[in-house]
Order: sequence, then C-alpha cells, then structure tokens
Amino acid sequence: MTARTTRLAPEVRTAMQSLSAAAKRGLGDPALAELVQIRASQLNRCAFCLDMHVAIARKEGVSERRLDLLAVWQEAGDEVYDERERAALALTEAVTVLTDGFVPDEVYETAAKHFDEAELAHLIALITAINGWNRLMVARRIPPGGPAW
Amino acid sequence: MTTETVSYATEAAPRLEWAKLVPDVYKAMIRLDTAAKQGLDHKLYELVKIRASQINHCALCIDMHSKDALAAGESVERIIQLSAWEESRHFYTERELAALELTEAVTVLTDGFVADEVYEKAAKHFEEAELAQLIAAITVINAWNRFGVTCRMTPGHYQPGAHK
Repeated sequence: MTARTTRLAPEVRTAMQSLSAAAKRGLGDPALAELVQIRASQLNRCAFCLDMHVAIARKEGVSERRLDLLAVWQEAGDEVYDERERAALALTEAVTVLTDGFVPDEVYETAAKHFDEAELAHLIALITAINGWNRLMVARRIPPGGPAW
Repeated sequence: MTTETVSYATEAAPRLEWAKLVPDVYKAMIRLDTAAKQGLDHKLYELVKIRASQINHCALCIDMHSKDALAAGESVERIIQLSAWEESRHFYTERELAALELTEAVTVLTDGFVADEVYEKAAKHFEEAELAQLIAAITVINAWNRFGVTCRMTPGHYQPGAHK
C-alpha cells in the first residue's frame, strides 16, 4: 500500500486529545470506554485505532473473550456484555453509521435508561471522538503501531 | 386573493442539551474547530461542511452551514447542486471537486477506506499542510454532525455568522 505523508497540525492533535480526555473522564468507566472505541474502530476499519484500543483494553483488564466477541456482541448474550454495555454498544453503532440514517429512538432511549444525562453526553462525545480519530488515521493511512503524527 | 394557512408538523425539542451538560466537551470541540479551519479557504470549507452534513443527515448543520455559505457570498445554485455534484461538476472548480470527493470518502468510512485515487487527486490540488487541514476539517464537521444528529438538535433557528 502506498504510504501517505500528511502530518496533522499540532493544534488539531492537542484539541483532539482534549476532546477524548474530557469524554473518557466524564464517562468514568475505562473498560466500557475501550469497548466503545474498539467497536467504532471496527466499523470504520481503522487499523491504527483498533490496534491501540485493543492493547489499552487488555491493560484495563478486559478479557480476551470480551475482545474476541465484540464484533458480534449482539449474538454474544448478556453474560458476555451486560445490559448497560449493550446499550452503549448499540448507541456506538448508530452514531458511527449515520449515513444509514439517524439514531433510532429505541437505541437512544435504551442508552438514556442506563446512563444519566451527563454520562450520556460524555458517551456520545467519546463515540464522536473515536470517530474523529478513525477519520484522521484512515484518511492518512497510518499503519497499526504508528507513527501517528 | 385568499391566504392559505399551512399547518406544519410540530417542532420537537432536542433530545439532549449536550453543550450545556458537558461544557468541557463543548470547549474541546470549539478548540478543535478553530484548529482545523486555520489556513482553509472559507467558501470551500462551507461546501465541505454542507456536503458532509447532507451525507450524515444532520439537519442543524445543514441549516447552519447553508446560511453561513450564503452569508459568505456563496451562490444558491452551488448550494442546491451540492447533493448531486458528480452530475453538476461544471458548477465547481477541479480543486473543489477533489475536496468534495475526499469529503465523501472520509465521511463514509464504513463502506471501506479512502481510495488511493481520491487521496491522490486531493494531494494534487492541496499542498501537504493544507491537505492535513482539509482532512481535519472533514473530521470536525463529522464530529458536529454526530452531536447534532444524536442529540437531535433543532434546525431552523440559526442566524448566519453566529458561530464564526
């Protein structure tokens, strides 16, 4: 594959980092944050982000089984991902694939049942931020492991 | 002459007032927006923002950026034709077309990657630092679209220039 050499402006990078940090801090659930970021990166086919967030998830203690089954979480059952996680993953998919049309009421309302308003806003921000990173990395074809800048 | 009263559907309130709920996130988004638009041609950036917002179906962002584009002197014709730009190429410059093509590829990642042809065409029209800003700008409007759609922000009330 042809390499692409577009370096991001440092201001863009630091602003993106602040966005991700604020979202993650506000959500307050590091393991769930990684599941969300991995799932979005799978959908957006971002090799760099997938590699990075799977590694972080392992450090956060997410089991291999939960990582292996994430691409098929809907079929994996409640014993692998609990209801709160499933609500977050359904929201992740809807917010990531906007081009298929909107975020259904059912998906939004299920998430709103499991997360209070501030948590939900931070969760939406986290999904948005990883979608941002996915775009920045895929567009510039950053290989897994980097260098990202 | 009789005046007919048109009864429109009821306007819905937003799902979530995210900017008020999480000001830290909102501030980071504003910072990101400011960083991404540095060095980009304003009219081009509005076209990019409108096109991404069309693809992502973000009503608030379409409202905002169509009005901002018009206020910046963009023509009604070029805004109307934007959703069919592939069939109305003569309304746009080759440079704008390369940017629009890149916008679509970076917006619709789930259909698969950003093709070499698309990337290379953009790289021919934009030097490296500018291309990085364009990619950042496409990323940022995609982010605003996600907040707008998910929180179902209400379109129609935007006044041009309010978010410059």
